[in-house]
Amino acid sequence: MDLWPVLSKVELFEGLTPPELTDVARICTQREFRTGQVITIQGEPGSELFVICDGFVEVVVNPSGQNPAPRTVVHLGRGQLFGEMALVDYGPRSATVKSIADHTLIQAIDRDDFNRLCEANHHLGFIVMRNMAADLSFKLRHYHLTGR
Amino acid sequence: MTAIYKVSYVVVGETHPGAILNTEHKPAVGDHITLGGREFIVLEIVDLMPARGEFHFLHATLRPTPA
Repeated sequence: MDLWPVLSKVELFEGLTPPELTDVARICTQREFRTGQVITIQGEPGSELFVICDGFVEVVVNPSGQNPAPRTVVHLGRGQLFGEMALVDYGPRSATVKSIADHTLIQAIDRDDFNRLCEANHHLGFIVMRNMAADLSFKLRHYHLTGR
Repeated sequence: MTAIYKVSYVVVGETHPGAILNTEHKPAVGDHITLGGREFIVLEIVDLMPARGEFHFLHATLRPTPA
């Protein structure tokens, strides 16, 4: 599968040159999920970042303390990423993510491969990290607008 | 250069968590969109952040269409 047309439409990679996108495509692993399949589990270790190429996922947080009921915080569709928090802070997964559509197509990027690429090409590293910060900002703005 | 719209959808009037996704069609007030098999109508569109490259960042308020 030629990933270039897919990755060029993902905000995370906006600003990369065609050769840099090709380098990113080399470290992507495609996975497909059916409705209900779990992709990440809150609290478990994780070392991959995920980019949704098609389909939908549901992000569920199980707060600790007095309100243990799991809560769906957002649905993510085409072009969105998840798993970036554990990728950059090395902490456990902050949410459980499961597919809510059949044939949800995801590209997984391993942390070590990602870090090697960023260290080998600082322009690529800066662009992707800037875009990742912008994506986290967008998610935070969305969360605020939901009024919760 | 094809514009890509990254849209934050928030549903009013119920506890739906909303959604974020990319689309190549700029949503407009009155559009009907389907999220998770359910249909919604767009009530309001605002720019959430300035565009960067071909990416535009929008916020859309939705309500479920009557059954």
